[in-house]
Amino acid sequence: MALSTIGKNVERVDAREKVRGRALFSADVKLPRMLHARVLRSPYPHARIVRIDASRAKRLAGVRCVITGRDVPDARHGFVLFDQHILAKHVTRWAGEPIAAVAAEDIDIADEAVDLIDVEFEELPALFDAEAAMKSDPEVIIHPDLFTYERARKYAFDLDKPNVFYHHKIRRGNIEKGFKAANLVMESEFATERIQHCAIEPHAAIAEVNGNESVTIWTSRQDIAYLRNWIGALFGFKPSGIRVVRPYVGGGFGSKLAMVTEPIALILSQRTRRPVKFALTREEVFLSGGNRVPMTVRIKDGVDWEGRLMAREIRAILKSGAYSSVISIIVRNCSFGAVGTYRVPNFTFDSYGVYANEPPACNFRGFGSSQVVFAIESHMDMLAEKLGMDPVAFRKKNLLEEGEPNVTGEIMHSIGAGECLDKMAEFMEAPSKTKQQGPFRKGRGIALGNKYCAAPTASVARVKIMEDGCLAVFHGADDIGQGCNTVAAQVAAEEFGVSVDRVKVVFDDTFLTPFFNGGSTSSRVTYHLGNAVKLASRDARNKLFRLVSKKFHVPIESLETRGGDIYAGGERKTSIVELFTGFKADRPGGYGGYAEGGEIVGEDVFVQEYTPEDPETGQIDRAAALKGLRLVSFWTYGAKAVEIEVNVETGQVRVLRSASAMDMGCPINPKMCEQQIEGGMGMAIGDALFEEMRMDRGILLNPNFTDYKLPSTMQMPPMNEVESIFCAAPHKDGPYGAKGLGEVAFVGLQAAIANAIYDAVGVRVRGLPITAERLLEALNEKKGP
Amino acid sequence: MKRIIKLKVNGTDEEVLIEPWWTLSRVLRDELNLNGAKIGCETGDCGSCTILVDGKTVKSCIYPAMKAIGKEILTIEGLEGKDGCLHPLQEAFIAHFAVQCGFCTPGMILTAKALLDENPNPSETEIREALIGNLCRCTGYVKVVEAILAAGEKMKQSRAKTQG
Repeated sequence: MALSTIGKNVERVDAREKVRGRALFSADVKLPRMLHARVLRSPYPHARIVRIDASRAKRLAGVRCVITGRDVPDARHGFVLFDQHILAKHVTRWAGEPIAAVAAEDIDIADEAVDLIDVEFEELPALFDAEAAMKSDPEVIIHPDLFTYERARKYAFDLDKPNVFYHHKIRRGNIEKGFKAANLVMESEFATERIQHCAIEPHAAIAEVNGNESVTIWTSRQDIAYLRNWIGALFGFKPSGIRVVRPYVGGGFGSKLAMVTEPIALILSQRTRRPVKFALTREEVFLSGGNRVPMTVRIKDGVDWEGRLMAREIRAILKSGAYSSVISIIVRNCSFGAVGTYRVPNFTFDSYGVYANEPPACNFRGFGSSQVVFAIESHMDMLAEKLGMDPVAFRKKNLLEEGEPNVTGEIMHSIGAGECLDKMAEFMEAPSKTKQQGPFRKGRGIALGNKYCAAPTASVARVKIMEDGCLAVFHGADDIGQGCNTVAAQVAAEEFGVSVDRVKVVFDDTFLTPFFNGGSTSSRVTYHLGNAVKLASRDARNKLFRLVSKKFHVPIESLETRGGDIYAGGERKTSIVELFTGFKADRPGGYGGYAEGGEIVGEDVFVQEYTPEDPETGQIDRAAALKGLRLVSFWTYGAKAVEIEVNVETGQVRVLRSASAMDMGCPINPKMCEQQIEGGMGMAIGDALFEEMRMDRGILLNPNFTDYKLPSTMQMPPMNEVESIFCAAPHKDGPYGAKGLGEVAFVGLQAAIANAIYDAVGVRVRGLPITAERLLEALNEKKGP
Repeated sequence: MKRIIKLKVNGTDEEVLIEPWWTLSRVLRDELNLNGAKIGCETGDCGSCTILVDGKTVKSCIYPAMKAIGKEILTIEGLEGKDGCLHPLQEAFIAHFAVQCGFCTPGMILTAKALLDENPNPSETEIREALIGNLCRCTGYVKVVEAILAAGEKMKQSRAKTQG
């Protein structure tokens, strides 16, 4: 049957309140008697806290509470590895680490109070270099008790590397044999810098503790389940006592997963018995809101003369920062960037998460794939050139095919990569629209990206049929701007044959919304929430049909619904409105339940199963794989092509044209897919060319938008030179064949730009960002003295 | 010392008790509960707090409230008609999918209004230049520029209609 709403450019359900300025964000929440919090941050990258004297701060009029490391739970928190306290105890490990917090009547008093806290530090030697952190006898050990820390699941540390908190391995085939059989072996190293998500909304949370039993937290987050678990574990609240209200979120990109604001606001509220708001400044977002983990990726490839990849060896070092946060998972999952696209018979992958005395990294759009794919896709072009092959043909020759196992043994399904590449080949061959002149050199580049979606997770949705024939969808996914509320509404509307404006979405309060683990991460929401809403809609529809079948003595199988009416064998029987007692549009007060009593609420859960890999080999069980179990939910793909110009006198690069061919499965809302693709492009241009958290021995030099350049309108190619093409490979388990898109939109374009620069000026820059300075230096090197 | 000042916001006279150093965004958000001006940086870089003062764009996070005395302040809340009818720019931002997380949206729309009021026929380049101080991390700006071009066109047509 043809779809009526899915695949259509339905208006976003949040757009009207957002253009009116009425959409509520966490920082807009004001409660009676609310206090304001500020924290004192460490000025040193590594120091012992000898003494903290808060007496002057406490005496300041209007200050209601000051807390230090002594006042926070002894338990450490984290994602896989628990290594971080809410406020530093005894030792501070990055310049920016919170060491004390104040709650005051207004923000000016809180600011003043923070300045009045006296701290005596004893500076310790610090560690900033990733390779140094890999040593067996490093000068600095950042977490001397690392090997005793609790973990969410047991895994083996590298006992000879005291600053390494995680090591992930994949072993497939015989790597030595593979290189021996290869005709050409090439090895290169690539690097990416720390960048910040720069969601325009800074993190903000308000906590209100009610007695000792319960707490309500208003917060700007992209994963509620994780927060609730930790608030329960750290503070002893029962799940029934933790209510999280998460209104609209002003962008996440990964930054709003780690607990940055909530526990501090909570403790201050516990102490003062008043609601406390803790909103980060932009500088604090840079210092403590997480960042993309810098990576060095060493890649060694062996190919034969036909252009077949024979062996690939990758070693990646992820320099998290002072704490591991979610980086343990990224250490594992960054490998997927090397898993999901190409057939490699002999493959080894080693990735290491290391500490450094720098601001801790966290999730970032791409979850490690953007960095690994930058290395691989740069290398693919370098190999193609050596082989004298066309870069598209070389990539296509090595693409994984439907039904083929990847290097983890997972059987691949839904791979649109080939079609994406074909589309970009057309872009590469089309004649250029403008001429090359003056100091400007033009070039074109292509790259292929992939992004997996993590498993396993469970997603629940509820669909309620309202008295006026409208539907209410209840879900716990986070609309951080990607538009999942619209997707949820579209799915319910489709299942009931009604227009989207008849669907209300309730998403912002854990007392109302069902369980949804995994949050808005890993490009997972369209696929998982879409499935959950589809199942819940069908459950509600079945309940409705049972009611009608009984009342009108018609067989259930003969029933259909559309437009609020119910048809039996194609004939209109009744409507949802008529099923309700006492409802008369002209009789006020007539709304009520069904004649039979109660109301209809459908509910269901979508569980994405998976099979784990062996930690020593990265391989999944063959029998499980053959049964159809996967390591991930699904794979998404995107080929990106750009035309750029390099000013050889200044080293500046401008993106003139950008095209993306994307496989996100079947698009639920094509315009919203374009939004992701264009936004991913914007972010990738910044990453490729100028974004960088500049560190000087642990001190962040540019924690503001004056010195940290974010892409503005001026760095984007002209409107008509941005092209988004859909190459859907429908997924058998996706709702209406849909997969995800948010992250893959950001993955790959960086390498396309680097490849285009090489095409323009013959210079290969192996580190991001390719700033004007870096490129000019490389150009001068090439020219020679 | 706090003092009472009078501000004209969205056509309404408001009396507020403020410290003389308070920024306009603080007064709008905390004293008048007009939350449409968002705080993204407090350094005047991101543009989320953009409002119009006497028709000109102002970064309200670095603009002293005292300076706005006697001037006409327009925030996003004052842009729609009294009947709840949206401004053509608001309609265009919806129709062209220029809204994602929505945090920068009020500032974007007001910057665009100031531009179109001054230059009803802006080119794409002029729109981009006008938006240089409004940062957005979600959209890559493509659909924002598209929406403003479309709104400009619509406003021109409706002006022609009322004049004709």
